[in-house]
Amino acid sequence: MSEDRTITIKGAPEPRGPYVHARKHGGLVYVTAQIGRDPKTGDFVKGGFEAEFNQAIDNVEAILEASGSSLDRVVRAQIEFVDEGDLDAMNRIYGERFHDPLPARTSFGVAFLWKGARVQIDCIAALD
Amino acid sequence: MAHRGVVTRRGPQPTGSYPHAHIQGDMVWVTAQAGRDPRNGELVPGGMEGQLNRAIDNLASILDECGSSLDSVVKAQIMYTDSADEDVMEAVCARRFAMSPPVVTAWGVRFLAAEPGTEVVRVQIDCVAGIP
Repeated sequence: MSEDRTITIKGAPEPRGPYVHARKHGGLVYVTAQIGRDPKTGDFVKGGFEAEFNQAIDNVEAILEASGSSLDRVVRAQIEFVDEGDLDAMNRIYGERFHDPLPARTSFGVAFLWKGARVQIDCIAALD
Repeated sequence: MAHRGVVTRRGPQPTGSYPHAHIQGDMVWVTAQAGRDPRNGELVPGGMEGQLNRAIDNLASILDECGSSLDSVVKAQIMYTDSADEDVMEAVCARRFAMSPPVVTAWGVRFLAAEPGTEVVRVQIDCVAGIP
């Protein structure tokens, strides 16, 4: 039986619902989808898509580090965004924040996100 | 490592070429469930609250058949059609996953699979769980 542990930290926005920030199972850590909320205030950061996406990745990074992992150990990332016009910015910022070995990625446009978020990102990362 | 699909009478019968769940090692991957009654496949009444509770009941039955449970859910994904349902959605999840909350990714979609013109599927939920 593998370890199975939940993680909630102060360095990412308080979960908005009955969720944990991360959960470890079988050598992987699964991270709850993060949006562009400031961990200190819980509010969306200002500055539109780019600011929101950078903040969301900051939140994922903080959760991964508290879990004993890091952005460079992400195996799979999933991104949902609302406006097709943000696609280029999404790819550019993603390329600035993630480096080799790049994770597998699924991204897609959605009808809407929680409380009007423009973008969110989740991931599964290795612990070793 | 052994892996296998699982179909049970305790979940609504799958409408496509997929099982209720797939077991691989000590993990079970469960097909997205809508708020359908396993006895007749009908969508239950009660809007988001009724549908999501029934969908989670279906997950629980399928997980039980696979030797797992809601407490062992590592990750859940929720797709929903109306942003006005968000508060109810969170309240239902808070009750149903109170013991050991999973990580969650949720997003709004334009539509979910349904019988056209006769019903509106407001939510569906899938999950990955450990088998203790």
